Amino acid sequence: MRLQTRHWVFASLFVLIAVVMASGIRLSVPVSPETQRMYDFIDSLPAGAVVLLSFDHEASSLPEIQPITRALLRHCFEHDLRPVGLALLAEGTAIGYRLMQTTAREYGKEYGIDYAYLGFKPQYVAAILSMGESISATFPQDYLGRPYDSLALLHGVENYDDVAAVLSIADGSFTTHWMEYGGRYGVPVIAGVTAAMVTTYDPYLASGQMQAMVGGLRGAAEYEKLLGRKGGGGARGMLAQSAAHLYVILLIILGNVAYFIKRRRSA
Amino acid sequence: MDRKIALVACFAFGVVMFAQYFSAHPVAHQVNQAVLEYWQIIFAFALVLGVVGFCQTNVTQVRKGHDRPYRMAALAGFVAMPLLATFWGIKAGSPFLWMFENVQAPMQSTVFALLAFFVASASFRGFRARSVPATILLASALLILLSRTWIPGSMSNWLPDAADWIRNNPSMAARRAILIGIGLGSLTTSLRVIVGIERTWLGGGK
Amino acid sequence: MEIGAVIAGLFTLAILTFLYRDNPVYKMAESLLIGVSIGYVLVITWSSTLVDLLFEPLFAQGALSLTLPLLLGLMMFSRFHHRMSFLSRIPIAVMIGSGAGVAIPAMLEQRTLKQMSATVMPLLTTSGRPDPAAIVILAGVLTTLCYFYFSREHKGMLGVAAKIGTYFLMIFFGTTFGYTVMSRMSTFIGRMEFLLTDFLRLTG
Repeated sequence: MRLQTRHWVFASLFVLIAVVMASGIRLSVPVSPETQRMYDFIDSLPAGAVVLLSFDHEASSLPEIQPITRALLRHCFEHDLRPVGLALLAEGTAIGYRLMQTTAREYGKEYGIDYAYLGFKPQYVAAILSMGESISATFPQDYLGRPYDSLALLHGVENYDDVAAVLSIADGSFTTHWMEYGGRYGVPVIAGVTAAMVTTYDPYLASGQMQAMVGGLRGAAEYEKLLGRKGGGGARGMLAQSAAHLYVILLIILGNVAYFIKRRRSA
Repeated sequence: MDRKIALVACFAFGVVMFAQYFSAHPVAHQVNQAVLEYWQIIFAFALVLGVVGFCQTNVTQVRKGHDRPYRMAALAGFVAMPLLATFWGIKAGSPFLWMFENVQAPMQSTVFALLAFFVASASFRGFRARSVPATILLASALLILLSRTWIPGSMSNWLPDAADWIRNNPSMAARRAILIGIGLGSLTTSLRVIVGIERTWLGGGK
Repeated sequence: MEIGAVIAGLFTLAILTFLYRDNPVYKMAESLLIGVSIGYVLVITWSSTLVDLLFEPLFAQGALSLTLPLLLGLMMFSRFHHRMSFLSRIPIAVMIGSGAGVAIPAMLEQRTLKQMSATVMPLLTTSGRPDPAAIVILAGVLTTLCYFYFSREHKGMLGVAAKIGTYFLMIFFGTTFGYTVMSRMSTFIGRMEFLLTDFLRLTG
């Protein structure tokens, strides 16, 4: 078994994260203005408003996206909003369904009255534009095969005019499509995204095309703090994340020190 | 001749879908709704086509004996999912969802999690301050990483503010310029596709 | 211990073996993942689109107008026949043309014009002092656009502007790298939490 430098780097990271996670220490993080903006936006929506929740992500980003989604869903239910879930990516379908179900159960919410799940439609551009004309024509049945009209929550919800906001949970560029194609209908767009996508959406946040955004595990930890929930998925990972960041910073410094020493020797 | 028919169809649908954007007439809305529905249905067939292609390739390779155990595992997984869905449905608690939650999702997220290790390795081996631009890149990356790290003391006050300013101003400006460039590029490409100048989507052959 | 957690944990460890090197355990897990993923997509696409939007309205409710998309969709399969494969170009043309048509106003309005108008902000505050943020944003957008202008050689004023644009781009890439590291670490932290809590039951 021959170990190379990269194996030692991998092993050190593995052990570091394992030890820190096993310690069970939870860090409290200050709330950023960005996360506060999302919280205030959802708080400003009237009770009973319908919010479209679009699960535009794959299973690969689940560990990061799940805490964000849970926190936002909990806020929606606490504020008596009525989330209607859908997915523009096939994998988001099952994830969204389970997340909405398990979170709704915490608040005693009833399917079809307090929340609903419409399922998946392919070709995201066509789906977004089609819902602008008619959500019932786009989703004649929900994920479980019940007719759209049979769900009490969806009575009178015909298109984006009847929806308070679209909350896009994304690990890629799908939120961009909501703004670009849904923007035609003027529906407010908010997003919960992975940290890697945060800088992608900054221009939209600055221009007002996106009303609010929460990003990454840290965003989830901040949101959990605002909701007054301890021990959420976001908060549990904060110390490990800090440790991982310091580890990467150390690696960068060590790598550059070695580079400059080598350069000086060869000069 | 068939290429011309395809080009005419592309032009017709392109013009119709562009024109309906500027019309509030009920007929325009109906046409829009119909085309969007057709688009989704055809796309679903395209997905099924991809699945059929996957089966074809793997069955051929199994017959030839190339990577037989792996390809048979792939085919077994592929056959299992529709069978489970057909007999037990796709609701909560169904074997179909169980397979997704305990086989697909964990493996998929672990494949993605491998990137954490490769990012750490790349940081050690490749991230060098070789030039002024590289140093700027390195400095901004370090600032962002430090700002999102728990550091006791006074640094925890100004670091996040400095990082947020960098992110919301110079970084955002560069990203905005990229977006504008992509927007203009997408616009011209769409026009070229509709009028038939851009024909790569037709593929080869006669 | 729940059987699902055991299965998920074993598959997680199988994938992690790739960190040492490519091996049969990882390859087998990866192959199974590919097969299950494709089977999943097939089921979801079938039930949510083909049944919901096509078969049920057409055959159960008699919406004969859907015969056209059914025909167009079936034309896709002509690719498997050498002589008839040309038919598959027509449904592709419908998709490509429709996509291009809807993209033009969306790209123009949402991605270009709105972003441009958001860049044009007052450079002086109400008190008459320069607004550094607005100046930086305007300078950043203009110089980065100069960098991407390749129709002329980057010399003289254009060269200077393009050079400054490069620096703005490096700031953006560095910022993105920092957030990407954060994101990847979060994903691994999530998997580690699963291993410690649900699989090995070492933490609560």
